[in-house]
Amino acid sequence: MKTTTRSFLVLAIALAAGACNDFFNVPQTNQPTLDDLLNHPTRDKLAAAANGIFAGASGDIQSFIWRVGSMGREGINLSGNNTPDYSEPYFGPLSGSGFGAAIWGGRYANIRSINIYLQALGKTTELSAGEIAASRGMAQTFKALALLYVIETRGPLGAPVDVDRPVTAAPAPFVSEDSVYGYIIGLLDSAQTNLKAANTAGTPFPFSMPAGFFTFTDPGEFNEVNRAIAAKAEVFRATALNGCNGTPANCYTAAETDLAASFYQPGDSTYFKYGASFDFSTDGGDQVNGLSDPLNSSTYYALPDFLVDADTQVGGAKDLRALSKIVPAQDTQVLGGIPINGQLKFTVYFTGGAVDLNHSIPIIRDEELALLDAEAQIGLNNLAAANTILNLVRKASGNLPPDTLTGGSPKAAYIAELLYNRRYSLMWEQGTRWVDARRYGLLGTIPTDIPNGNVPAGAVPQVMPIPDNECNARGLASGCAP
Amino acid sequence: MTKASWVLPVLLFSFTTAALGQTRVISGRVTASVTGEPLPGVTVAVVGTQSLALTQTDGRFSIGAPPGDVHLLFRKIGYQHRDVPVTAVQDSVTVTMELDVFVLDAVVVNGQATSVERRNATTGNTVVMGTDIGTQPAQTVDKALQGKVPGAIISQNSGAPGGGVQVQLRGVNTVLGNPDPLYVVDGVIYSNISIPSGLSTATGSGSNRGSGQLQDDPVNRLADLNPNDIESIQVLPGAAASAIYGSKAANGVIIVKTKRGQAGKATATVTQRLGYSELLRGYGTRSFTVAEAESLYGVGAVTPYIVNGQLPTYDHMQELAGGKPMSYQTSLEVTGGDDHTRYFLSGSTSQDNGIIQNTGAGRQTLRLNLDQTFSDRLKLQFSSAFNRTQTDRGFTNNDNAGASVTYAIAYIPGFEPLVPVNGVYPQPSITYLSSNPLQTAALATNDEVALGFTAGGNLTYQALTTDHHNLQFIAAGGIDMFNQKNTVIAPPELYFEQALAAPGLSTLSNGDARYWNWNVNLVDQFTPTAANYHLTSSTGVQVEDAELSRGRLSAFGLLPGQTNIDQGSLIGNVFEDNEAKRTLAFYAQEELLAKDERLDITGAVRAERNSNNGATDRYYLYPRLSASYRFPDLLGVGSDFKVRAGYGETGNQPSFGQKFTDLDAGVYSKHSTTTVDPTAGDAGLRPERVREIEGGFDATLADGRGSVELTVYRRHTTDVFLSRTPAPSSGFSTQIFNGGELMNEGIELGVGYTPVQTRDFSWVSRVNFNTARNEVVSLPFPGFRPPNAGFGLAFGEFFLQPGKPTTQIIGQIGIDPVTGNFIVGYMGQTNPKFVMSFPQDIRYKRLSLNMLLTWQYGGVAQNQTLSLYDCNGLSPDQATPAGQQRFADCGIGIATPFVQSTSFLRLQNLSLSYEAPESWYRYFGGASSLRFTVSAQNLFLITGYTGYDPQVSNYGEQAVVRNIDLGPYPPSRSFTFTISAGF
Repeated sequence: MKTTTRSFLVLAIALAAGACNDFFNVPQTNQPTLDDLLNHPTRDKLAAAANGIFAGASGDIQSFIWRVGSMGREGINLSGNNTPDYSEPYFGPLSGSGFGAAIWGGRYANIRSINIYLQALGKTTELSAGEIAASRGMAQTFKALALLYVIETRGPLGAPVDVDRPVTAAPAPFVSEDSVYGYIIGLLDSAQTNLKAANTAGTPFPFSMPAGFFTFTDPGEFNEVNRAIAAKAEVFRATALNGCNGTPANCYTAAETDLAASFYQPGDSTYFKYGASFDFSTDGGDQVNGLSDPLNSSTYYALPDFLVDADTQVGGAKDLRALSKIVPAQDTQVLGGIPINGQLKFTVYFTGGAVDLNHSIPIIRDEELALLDAEAQIGLNNLAAANTILNLVRKASGNLPPDTLTGGSPKAAYIAELLYNRRYSLMWEQGTRWVDARRYGLLGTIPTDIPNGNVPAGAVPQVMPIPDNECNARGLASGCAP
Repeated sequence: MTKASWVLPVLLFSFTTAALGQTRVISGRVTASVTGEPLPGVTVAVVGTQSLALTQTDGRFSIGAPPGDVHLLFRKIGYQHRDVPVTAVQDSVTVTMELDVFVLDAVVVNGQATSVERRNATTGNTVVMGTDIGTQPAQTVDKALQGKVPGAIISQNSGAPGGGVQVQLRGVNTVLGNPDPLYVVDGVIYSNISIPSGLSTATGSGSNRGSGQLQDDPVNRLADLNPNDIESIQVLPGAAASAIYGSKAANGVIIVKTKRGQAGKATATVTQRLGYSELLRGYGTRSFTVAEAESLYGVGAVTPYIVNGQLPTYDHMQELAGGKPMSYQTSLEVTGGDDHTRYFLSGSTSQDNGIIQNTGAGRQTLRLNLDQTFSDRLKLQFSSAFNRTQTDRGFTNNDNAGASVTYAIAYIPGFEPLVPVNGVYPQPSITYLSSNPLQTAALATNDEVALGFTAGGNLTYQALTTDHHNLQFIAAGGIDMFNQKNTVIAPPELYFEQALAAPGLSTLSNGDARYWNWNVNLVDQFTPTAANYHLTSSTGVQVEDAELSRGRLSAFGLLPGQTNIDQGSLIGNVFEDNEAKRTLAFYAQEELLAKDERLDITGAVRAERNSNNGATDRYYLYPRLSASYRFPDLLGVGSDFKVRAGYGETGNQPSFGQKFTDLDAGVYSKHSTTTVDPTAGDAGLRPERVREIEGGFDATLADGRGSVELTVYRRHTTDVFLSRTPAPSSGFSTQIFNGGELMNEGIELGVGYTPVQTRDFSWVSRVNFNTARNEVVSLPFPGFRPPNAGFGLAFGEFFLQPGKPTTQIIGQIGIDPVTGNFIVGYMGQTNPKFVMSFPQDIRYKRLSLNMLLTWQYGGVAQNQTLSLYDCNGLSPDQATPAGQQRFADCGIGIATPFVQSTSFLRLQNLSLSYEAPESWYRYFGGASSLRFTVSAQNLFLITGYTGYDPQVSNYGEQAVVRNIDLGPYPPSRSFTFTISAGF
């Protein structure tokens, strides 16, 4: 009996020991792991991570456009599958767990990917110093772009910037709107230094650049995009709460410097469409451009205001931009929950008059730089210079006669003309109308469009809320303003 | 009597007739007490010897016995055992056996390789006999258990025929971990996994790895098991019992035994069932006046539908789910054998059609169970089953694409016609994403075929038998494998597809699983010479390996009329997932049975390592200790009263991959990409730990006419898998780690009584009662929203907070007049106050009536189906002030109307059977019995809940985030007629 027991135990122990540890060390068999990238940062893995930064940057842009576009009454999502998609922007208030929580986490997720990539760059032995500098320059530029999208919607609430910390650590503190812009500009400047260093060394990027950066594929060319984004950040910073440390002129001046170093072609409207874009594709694993919405689909609709508010061309036709970006829907969409019927569709992302799921979406393009130039000139009180640019845009994009501004027109009239052209030129591309109206305290100029509606101005501040999750993780109640 | 015959009867089926020391033969006859019919298959044992015999068809037996006075022990499943003294001069006995209606005599598992008489069991447990399942036809085994297990909440995730059932034992013990009990079928660990169908690729309700696929209303694989094959089901709800299964047992263990061969003349049973089902309840239709419709939709939108100045009202729910589809089942069982070899063979085929066009569930099964005795010492049990299950689900549940018929119907006012005219479906102008749900139901496909094979063996070797020791070597093991194929097809002519850039979708998914486990055990029974106790020692090792592999691919832009995935213009939803989970465990157990078998103390410890843990080389210990003490005849002669108490620890394993932080692959501008996955894993992840203390008593009234079983428990889960939502600015949306503590406590009560038991009339009345309370004891942070908690605070969401019920729902319940912000508050918990069920079995002569009534009191659900109707202004009562209030609440984002009480009273089953007299069938070739049954399932449901069914779950099997009602497959009631003949 005892012998049997003993031999059995020996057998069992032998089994345990013999049960090779490899049998129990089952690896992640489905996808790569973060530890693997950090511990074995090969050239190819870093290249995939770099392309992931482009992908991550493009990830939330469609949501940004239709959501902020809904708040600015550019369009409406009438799919009806999720009531808050139309009820929150049209009736308000914005909920920090619903509609209003958007355009936050996705941007910070990309920043996490960028920070991991930057850490991996610090450990790799497979890239040259020039390649590492080029890679850092790209990554820092996209980190700045991600924060720019965040602060555009949160404005005076500010945002966390020092977020490269372990997930187990306390959340990064909020900093003021102006500080966020300062951080963005600092990142872009640091990126510029890296890009220039790589350019001087003649080093190309150690990864393939996406098609949307078609002429910006080496670090020197890419820096022109970096400067364009810097110009935008400077101009927006000037309208921030206590913007530009209270001296907006400094930012407008800096913007002019940045524009000069960017791909901006002053005075030449043939370059208006020239710029950098996010790519979309029907290739397996890629994202399609869902804003290229078929005329018989029942998701995104334009509002009639866009036609009604448009200036007229000589001869009485509406602003060419209004006519070219909107067409009648094939079917009228009717929902019981909101008295707006879907009757107009966007063709902003059509190719040859047809849906194109591969259509790119601009990151920043020459026409927007021209308008930033005009805005900076207004800010610097160079009103005539601004008006020249605005009339160029009116003519080239809207086929409109020159505006009626004179040297005696108040500055507010110049701003109104600027915002009109930003609205019509950047329609359904940047959420421009609502962002601009908020920046200039003009949310009252956006109509509610429905009885008892409410443009998401909230009371104060006039912004999208901080997501509840962000508040709750700090032990704060929903609707916080940390 | 020896310990051996009590503790290990299964292992001692050796048909020895001429053991040493036998000098005489005792013969006799065994009959049933009430009916007087002869009882075949009764095991007869001479206490204190190895001598065993079985009664024949006429109830007669003969058995060798030593000289002198002896005791004969008679046992048969379903009857109370009898211990009959036989004097030295007596050579024949007549024995009557009482029905064991309260299953007091069953043998229950209490270790990896040991079991114990239920009356000595040291922990609360329930045994449901196959005969109880047979009287109430159910499509799946888990549905068959509904209402029969105190402490179990068993609910159907939707009304669709076939699988999709969840079983919850003793509360909510996890949040992210596996919520499912462990199923062991004939010793084989059985995979009850639910593999999503890929419907989400059509409904757009989420991504491949994300939450979307959970909303596919998947089939759980227990659906493959034929309920008619079951002999008994033992439920071990508590950790004090289930600790023997270590880190798979946090949610209890359900041990299924299938029928085994009976020695003797071969017998066959043929059963034919026929029936139909119909819609139990569904949403009504709002009747519009022209003015009401115009104010909602605008004048132009309504004008085309006005007929003679009025708007018609079509009942779209009836058009969609108003069918009365047929169901059938044909099954055959054959059993027979001799003293050495016995077999049980069964086959069945069934089809249950669904109330929505092109839906239904069919199953074909084949089972062979063999028992082979090689010698007095060596015995083999073998079980095997092959099955094919086809489940056609249709398009239901949550939706973002216009595909789900039950979702889209909530957007379509009653004045719009949907039925086809000359074969052409009208395209409604007021609808959800262009959908005509009747067209979708008619043309779309969501079909699943699963092929499964399960086989297991158990080899028992009587290694050593001495006066004091009985040593057995037991090796057991088995394999459970299945392959599942799903096709989801939305043809391009569907209106919601036509509105897409590439109309027409075909998704092909595949899943295959292989689970195997084996264990070897040594069991020693020690009986000292002159002491009044027995010791059973056992030790063993167990190895498990579970592998699961899944893949999926969609084609878009299908050619007209084509469905294969190579017939589209685009490929997407590409997905592959491979998982392996490996476990090694050692255990040792000691059982003391003393004081004339009044005292039983059992203790054990299991040490286990698992590949899903962060530290794969670390062993985690799962101890248990339990004891019971019986007071025979305390409540009168023949009665029994037992108190018991126990403590045990079990665990819940991390899921595959939870310990890793992943990079997600993608494509951007034709280049491969990686991005950091939004979930932060934890490299140090440990199993969850459940510590439970339980106590209770079991009382059997005189003659076994009544029984009361009460168990009180309290269990704490620590090291809970938590998915904190870190500040989104961290770049992660989820962080997995161990922490916090959950508590469950409750009372389980089973009362049975036989008010009448005569030859002509008997009534067995039972009441099962269960109340449980759960609470989040602590969390390392203020609170968290579990994954898939709901659809925003505007509709109500689950939220875990210390000091609050684990299943609480919070939401926006008002707007602060000062700040203008929403007020977020408590809206209820899904956990009911109590659940009671009332199984009743009444027999009058040849007629028997079985009834099962279930009553749930308390608990709430997220009724998001209502929110769909209300937000669209389409609830039948929308024009009333209450309806207008809900419409307004939806517009503002107030959740109050959409979290509703789920109290209900359900007549789950009503069956009437007639056992035909011999004169009816004596002329059919060799028939030996004939039985007719008429039965109704889900006959009525009384509830204030206005959704489809208070128990549905949009996200399928879930620990916490169940009870979300969002356009599920509507519930049905069914009627069946069954004829069963024995040969």
